[in-house]
Amino acid sequence: MSDEPNPTPASSASDPGDTAVRREGRLYGVLAEYDTPGELIEAARKVAGAGFTRFDCFSPFPVHGIDDAMGIKRTALPVAIFIGGFTGTVGGLLLQWWCNAYNWPWNISGKPSWSIPANIPIGFETTILMAVFASFFGMWLANRLPQVWHPFFRNERFNHVTDDAFLLGIEAGDRRFDSQATAQLLRDAGAISVELVYLDPDRAKRQMPKWITAFIVASTAFALIPFAIAAKARTSHSSEPHIHIFPDMDFQPKYKSDQPMDLFGDGRANRGEITGTVARGSLNADETFYKGIEHAPEGDHWTTGFPRQLEINDALVRRGRNRFEIYCTPCHGYDGRGMGAVPTRVATTGGAWQARNLVDVSNPVAINMPNGQLFNTISNGYNTMMGYAAQIPPADRWAIVLYVRALQRSQNAALDDIPPDHRSGMQMPEAPTR
Amino acid sequence: MSVLQKSLHPDEKYKAGRLGESLGRIGLVIAAVFLGVSVVVAFHYDQWKRFFYAYVVGWSFIFSICVGVFWLILLHHLVRGRWATAVRRVAEAMTMAFPVVFVAGLVFVLPLLAGYHDLYYWAHPDAAACVVKAASGTCQEYLNPTLVHKLGWLSPGFFFGRYVVYGVLYTAMAAYFARKSRQQDESGDPKLSDSMRIASGPAMIVYALITCFTSFDVLMSMAPKWYSTIYGVNFWGSSCVGGFAALGLVVLGIQRTGRLTHSVNPEHYHDIGKWMFAFTFFWAYTAFSQFMLQWYGNLPEETVWYKYRLFGEWQWVSIAMLFGFWAFPFVFLMSRWTKRIVPSLVFFAVWQLVFHWLDLYWNVMPSYDWLSSAQEGHQVLTGPLTGSILDHHVGFSLLDLTVWFGLIGVLLFGIGRNLRGNLIPIKDPTLGLSLAHENL
Repeated sequence: MSDEPNPTPASSASDPGDTAVRREGRLYGVLAEYDTPGELIEAARKVAGAGFTRFDCFSPFPVHGIDDAMGIKRTALPVAIFIGGFTGTVGGLLLQWWCNAYNWPWNISGKPSWSIPANIPIGFETTILMAVFASFFGMWLANRLPQVWHPFFRNERFNHVTDDAFLLGIEAGDRRFDSQATAQLLRDAGAISVELVYLDPDRAKRQMPKWITAFIVASTAFALIPFAIAAKARTSHSSEPHIHIFPDMDFQPKYKSDQPMDLFGDGRANRGEITGTVARGSLNADETFYKGIEHAPEGDHWTTGFPRQLEINDALVRRGRNRFEIYCTPCHGYDGRGMGAVPTRVATTGGAWQARNLVDVSNPVAINMPNGQLFNTISNGYNTMMGYAAQIPPADRWAIVLYVRALQRSQNAALDDIPPDHRSGMQMPEAPTR
Repeated sequence: MSVLQKSLHPDEKYKAGRLGESLGRIGLVIAAVFLGVSVVVAFHYDQWKRFFYAYVVGWSFIFSICVGVFWLILLHHLVRGRWATAVRRVAEAMTMAFPVVFVAGLVFVLPLLAGYHDLYYWAHPDAAACVVKAASGTCQEYLNPTLVHKLGWLSPGFFFGRYVVYGVLYTAMAAYFARKSRQQDESGDPKLSDSMRIASGPAMIVYALITCFTSFDVLMSMAPKWYSTIYGVNFWGSSCVGGFAALGLVVLGIQRTGRLTHSVNPEHYHDIGKWMFAFTFFWAYTAFSQFMLQWYGNLPEETVWYKYRLFGEWQWVSIAMLFGFWAFPFVFLMSRWTKRIVPSLVFFAVWQLVFHWLDLYWNVMPSYDWLSSAQEGHQVLTGPLTGSILDHHVGFSLLDLTVWFGLIGVLLFGIGRNLRGNLIPIKDPTLGLSLAHENL
């Protein structure tokens, strides 16, 4: 609306300012330059005091106090930002509730599908996002942006406004505007130059260049393509193969395990070990150490001792305890009685499953197992227990066997088994009296 | 006249005169009365343990105010700040309370050296004995291995040594900035501003480190098995809320005596309020960061700290913190006007100071019961894991308040000692900008 020309004739007598003014268009307004921000503020105060409303100040940096001098009311933007932020909080929490608790509740390790602490970080982010959107786009809206063209752009002095010029422009559309009197007012306020600014007679030059409009439309349309494809895919069926954007990455000229191959007689890409060969470091010839088996003339049997490579000492027991507490306690429990975290949780869901009690004297299956068989059980599993050979190196498996033996002894120990000088701390604390 | 700069108003009373002496005397009286009552009560009812716990809370309170205010001085120099020049001298006087604060802290530090071990249970002789036993592998059932490894750091002698180092560093840094600033009053040499700016960078680093470590030593070691790496940051955030609130109140108090009436205006209070608002949120942000990781990680040695605060009676204190220290001031300080209308800012400053104290109380006091519910011998070191949470009471004591008030008196004395000469850095090159300061 601001570029609607004012009826004031462009050729009004004795135009103030320089001779470079082009007269071919209609008068848009008057632009005055001031030397310092302080003078700009004073001029703004005078112009506002004279009753002008359609004017603005232009400066390279924010000038403190200019809003007050121009009589501009405080912006309502903070309110918009607050509403935006609040919407973000509520919307973010609602989104999580809808996704996690309502539309698609999913049991992950028994965690609740709706829990406020877990939702706060997302709520925090959406709050900031919406507050920033409200701030950014609210500022656009309040300032009627984006504005790619302004009549003052035709003025040479205006080019300095981002550099060193302090300008005050009054629009000819203001009802108090009079090209002579207004220019005089600005000059009286200390302007170092006052110029009239005319609209370009060529209407096309006053509008946004066509190519910018075309670019915005085209890029917006382009950005919608992925959404359109997704929307189509949601509502239709297709027997076409996937779109491969990088086919040479998706289909590489190489064989993967268990793919067919014509080159070899068995038709497989896999090349197994050749009979009679052993991979480096995989000989594992020591049957006692690697399998817990001892050879004897009357037949192979589980070893009852420990392999000769291992030195049985305190450090090995501690290592065994450490490994036991990592790998075994989830089912067998810290005391080896078979009620670790997993059976405990089974019990909470109404089930009744328990891991083997390793230390029970009334059902001494594990107590009676030879060391070699315990080792074999750890390595290869037993009933529902899987083998741990892949996770635990053999020496550590033996350390666990050693610790299980220690556990079996300590869990069935009497006070007499403890050295006298260590007994003091082992007394059961008396029950607190209430 | 340019509006970017203003010169000091000709009628401005910027000389402290006898203000500092009066304030110091008032502080001494408050300290003497309340600490005297506290000692008598502690002696009469044999409540020394409560006294020392309350003392740690109260001491952390006055210490943290100096910490918060000192940060403003450092930041102001570091970023060539302008708005705060008008209140910087008052801030300098407040940070010059550091030596008094650290001397006052000896009340709980020295007994530690003398073998008092009810305050910090890592100081218990059994803890030291357990290190020896742990080395021989017999004590692990009773002592969390994480604590065994900390006992070298948490030993009374080393603790005392660090306390002295913190005190000396804070005092030296605060004195440096206060002295240079006063020198500028005499000479007006702008180079002094440069040297303060150059010093503020390294000082900020030292400040960050010792603030963190002081909070680890004095507050976090109350629960020595527990740990949180963001603890120091969280303490600092809370400190800055308290620091800015106290700065606002002190400046306003000085204005009430007819001084600085032209130099400090709602623009400055607005900025103080903005910092209060920012740190209110920052405190909540770090407190939640600390909570959420431990809540999510769900490791017993971490969650036990929260278990004692989020269940039983303490949960009401936690809820009060959530709404009182964060939600309510956050919503109301958000507006421009609550910070610019001085009575409203005063209300929130007092409010936040009370809740800042409650924050420290909440950090320290749940540890109080650990020893009393424990038994003799090794059991003492099982600490928080003994007893039911429902038996764990807030156990508010009047000593908590009297010791706190007494220590506020100590802080006022410390501030009053340095409230002399000019109350405004009259020849600071940025003073004109500060006096003309306007918030957009």
